[in-house]
Amino acid sequence: MKRLMGIAVLAVLLSPNLAAVAKEPQYGSTLDVGTVNVTLSALSWDPADWAWKSTHDTGMVREQLFVGDLGKSVRNGGPYPFIADAYLPKGAIKGELAESWEWEDPLTLVVHLRKGVMFTELPGVMAARELVADDVVFTYELLSTSPKKIPTYFTHINDVVARDEHTVVFYFNEYNAEWDYRFGYGYYSGIVPRETANIDRKSWRNVVGTGPFTMGRYILGNRQTYEKNPGYWGTETIDGQEYALPFVDQLNYRIIKDEATQLTAIRTGQLDILEGIRWIAVDHLKETTPELKWNRWLSTGGTFMALRVDTKPLDDIRVRRALNLAVNQREIVDLYYGGHAQLMAYPQHPGFGEYFQPLEEMPESVQELFTYNPEKARALLVEAGYADGFEMEVQVCSCSPDNMDLVPLLDSYLAKVGVRLKIKPMEYASFLSAMTTRTHTPGYLMGSGHVNPTTSLRKSFVTAQTWNPSMYSDPVFDAKMEELYQTRDEARRIEMVRELTIKILDEAPYLWLPTGFTYTAWWPWVKNYGGELRVGAVRPGPIYARIWIDQEMKREMGFK
Amino acid sequence: MSDITIPAPAQAPLIGGGRFAFTRRLIREKPLGAAGGAIFMLFLFCGVFADVLAPYGVNETDMFHRLEAPSLSFLMGTDHIGRDVFSRILYGAQLSMIVGFLAAGLATVVSIVLGIVSGYVGGKTDMLIQRFVDAWMTFPDLVLLIVVISIVGPGMTQIIVILGLLYGIAGSRIIRGQVVSVRENMYTHAAQSMGARTIYILWKHILPNVMPVVIILFTTRVGAVILAEAGLSFLGLGVPPPTPTWGAMLSGTGRTYMYLGPWLALAPGLCLTIVVYAINIYGDALRDLLDPRMRGSR
Amino acid sequence: MQAFIVRRLLALIPTLIFTSIIVFASIRLIPGDVIDLMLSQNDISTGNDRAMIEEALGLNEPIYIQYFQWIGAAVQGDLGRSLWQNTPVTEQLKETLPITFELGLLALIVALTVAIPIGIYSAMHQDTAGDYITRSFSLLMLAIPSFWLGTLVMVFPSVWWRWAPPLEYTPFLEDPIANLSHMIVPAIILGLGLSAVTMRMTRTMMLEVMRQDYIRTARAKGLGENLVVMRHALRNGLIPVVTLIGLQAPLLIGGAVILEQIFVVPGMGLLLLEAVFQRDYPIVTGVFLVVGVAILIINLLVDLTYGFLDPKVRQQ
Repeated sequence: MKRLMGIAVLAVLLSPNLAAVAKEPQYGSTLDVGTVNVTLSALSWDPADWAWKSTHDTGMVREQLFVGDLGKSVRNGGPYPFIADAYLPKGAIKGELAESWEWEDPLTLVVHLRKGVMFTELPGVMAARELVADDVVFTYELLSTSPKKIPTYFTHINDVVARDEHTVVFYFNEYNAEWDYRFGYGYYSGIVPRETANIDRKSWRNVVGTGPFTMGRYILGNRQTYEKNPGYWGTETIDGQEYALPFVDQLNYRIIKDEATQLTAIRTGQLDILEGIRWIAVDHLKETTPELKWNRWLSTGGTFMALRVDTKPLDDIRVRRALNLAVNQREIVDLYYGGHAQLMAYPQHPGFGEYFQPLEEMPESVQELFTYNPEKARALLVEAGYADGFEMEVQVCSCSPDNMDLVPLLDSYLAKVGVRLKIKPMEYASFLSAMTTRTHTPGYLMGSGHVNPTTSLRKSFVTAQTWNPSMYSDPVFDAKMEELYQTRDEARRIEMVRELTIKILDEAPYLWLPTGFTYTAWWPWVKNYGGELRVGAVRPGPIYARIWIDQEMKREMGFK
Repeated sequence: MSDITIPAPAQAPLIGGGRFAFTRRLIREKPLGAAGGAIFMLFLFCGVFADVLAPYGVNETDMFHRLEAPSLSFLMGTDHIGRDVFSRILYGAQLSMIVGFLAAGLATVVSIVLGIVSGYVGGKTDMLIQRFVDAWMTFPDLVLLIVVISIVGPGMTQIIVILGLLYGIAGSRIIRGQVVSVRENMYTHAAQSMGARTIYILWKHILPNVMPVVIILFTTRVGAVILAEAGLSFLGLGVPPPTPTWGAMLSGTGRTYMYLGPWLALAPGLCLTIVVYAINIYGDALRDLLDPRMRGSR
Repeated sequence: MQAFIVRRLLALIPTLIFTSIIVFASIRLIPGDVIDLMLSQNDISTGNDRAMIEEALGLNEPIYIQYFQWIGAAVQGDLGRSLWQNTPVTEQLKETLPITFELGLLALIVALTVAIPIGIYSAMHQDTAGDYITRSFSLLMLAIPSFWLGTLVMVFPSVWWRWAPPLEYTPFLEDPIANLSHMIVPAIILGLGLSAVTMRMTRTMMLEVMRQDYIRTARAKGLGENLVVMRHALRNGLIPVVTLIGLQAPLLIGGAVILEQIFVVPGMGLLLLEAVFQRDYPIVTGVFLVVGVAILIINLLVDLTYGFLDPKVRQQ
């Protein structure tokens, strides 16, 4: 204990000293990151596989048409925190490979590519060469003809054509509100060269692009290493001075499954950044490692218990509302999460700006669902004909410690109104496939990403979508969603999203639960960084390219 | 070891008296083993009477008394959703004993039958059984458990049956090795040549000779099963919550709340360690005493 | 003796076929097959993608045809490719197998270094304080769940002294020191956990053998105590111990899964666990086959060692 205090005192004495002078950015060194997905190895390196994590693992090698503008981040005095997993507000978008773009007519989009952008060499496959419009066309075709593609993903696009070397034209069938996300900054938008048409794209050795890093080494279950691309086109302006990117020589994504090990790794400086820290660990980590810098963010996924509306007795809205009333969400926020949670932040995320409407502004009937009222819950159950309550099966993924903790808590709340849960923990694959094959139990405790304002509603509440665990189905709702996608006017879209969100909340296809906060910690020697998480769809690559390591500070603090 | 001497009965003791005599011998000659046995009995007692002893309901949550350190009202503190850890430990003892005894019992029976048949009969039968055991033993138990549990769903019965078979078949090798060795011993040859019946030989010569190994196997297994259940919990495949197994308490909330509530890990961790240790020490002492060639000596 | 080995090697073949069929079938029986997982990657999908993916992965054939295709290739050393990453399974095994093997070997060395001396010592000093203390240590190591000991070792030194074992894997041939400093901690934990079983078996057998007639004879012949222990008792006492080491091979791999996870050792245990969770069939079957062969060979060696150690069996 004494030793511990000694270290703490020493650290306090040292740190003001270190922070005093704003230094010039330095090149070199290695950046070790435990990303939000620190437990997951890469799923696939092939863009044609449509794996959701592809941008996470290759987003520093392959670039996209659009990217988040980090110059407008909160850290730089701008409005955008760059936390949402797959949503960039209009103002936060800038061109990456696209230099500029315009609508020639309402259904024709012209994108002018940046000139002088080079693909790196891929020995045996291609020499370094300039990116041209044909590569964008090739990528689009590769994706849209893949057997694994999402069938309706590109239905709004009729054709993609290279007008000249650096101009790509997108001909639309119909307007789509998500056009910039679907093939601009989204999950499936990384541009690859034509030469990869006939090679083994699933091999990590064949990952190639125009980005700030090249693929270095991949050790399954330990790390993914990326090397600096010395010929990268991008630059960063710091204090009026322009610097070539990236700053660090090497970027390591570390894969660590065990939470205790992750925390140890950041504490001992083996990680420079750990992006996803559960609130439970925060206080102790702050106490033992006071030098760390912190950022707090509201999770970009909601937690809830889906209630299958196609089963009895959950087909009765009174029963579903009763379950919501019987659970004390406020108490869960205050006591279970120790205040590290927000009562209502799903299906819309506060980071979605105007699309998000706080609970206080919602109608009475929605607010009621987040107010503990067991008497009324019992009354509703009696009204619905379940005076003695009922038994309900609930599946939960043993992969989520949080959900596993929540289940017994829900069980004890619901028991007080006579609803008994039969808890069925399952491991990840079995759990997911229960949903995809529609064999899941009436109760299904899960988390689901917000993605973006429209997708959040579509994927979970439109008839027959895969990620619709409550089997919600309403033709009126479906039609409204269709209309929403074709609406060009953003103000009108905001209005519609708000309306649909209220409708969904009110009908309670889920037992709504609070959304927790997550924390990001980094060492003070990590510079030009403020806890931003993504500048695309789960794509942090460009953020890491802009980080530089204050190597003297690191040494002075006692780390190699 | 002990100063207390108890006058030995004049005649040969009855069965009951024999048992007491055995206990006395255990205490006198193997105090550590006896202590292990006593600890084990204590946990067994707690398990059997968990319903009576537990001051609170096993899943009774109280959010206003969450993460409280041990006190008079909560002997081992409370967990993250306000359940009394002491009550859960008691029920955990019950579950551990049930899982441990049933699985180890099953394993022992399987081991004895396979081991003796294979080792004593020999020849083709031995060959066949050994090939089967070989094949079986190539399954890393973890994957076997994942596969079976994924198919039938996680639960206590599954864990008992799978661990019982797993350890039983693997352990039969040891029994067989012992049987082969005994069979080659002279006195068995002698008995065989005198035309004794197989059953008689098995009962009179082979079984007593493999008994020490059987006892070691059984005691080891009880401990191993309790540990294996904990390991499964760590991988998320144990007995589902809110069932309070020690393994789940230790690997789940125990690890998560290691800093906020160290008692959450300490209580199940110590119980697990102490019980497994006690069982093993007790088993070793029993072995020393039950050894047939030691009987009558000392 | 030669005929014996050949016979045993031939006997491996039916065992392997039997094992491979079971593994091949059982991993495909787990609910949540790989297609579901791949489909759930995307937030939109319809029924007809399923057939397309199945065909692309060759999973649309009846299971017995898939098996024959697989076993046919396996005989030629091709274990297929990962369904997710498309890397050849043999390549992944080549990367991970030596790592787990190294961990297991280090653990076994630790286990034997601790177990055999304690076993012999406590047998020779039965029921003394020394016996109790050494034996208790070994049994305590068995009684603490490895994931718990691993967690403690991972967490507390880092809190107290800002120290933790390095978690970045370096191949042994690139930098042996860096490699060992990563591997040694999990190896010690794994080894200590396994040592108790070997220790008590050594002790039991030593006690047993030391009371047997030929030892008494040896003693009566006036041979020194240490010589008796070394030449006769130990050799005969080791028979079941050797069996046990054979038994521990799958335990090493099982135990390795947990410690590989905590200490981020990119070995086969981690590969296997990941593959099972991702339903990457070719990897799971490939790992099984290789582990199976390895364990069968170890068991064969055990049987041969039997013959070497026990003259009575050798004469058979």
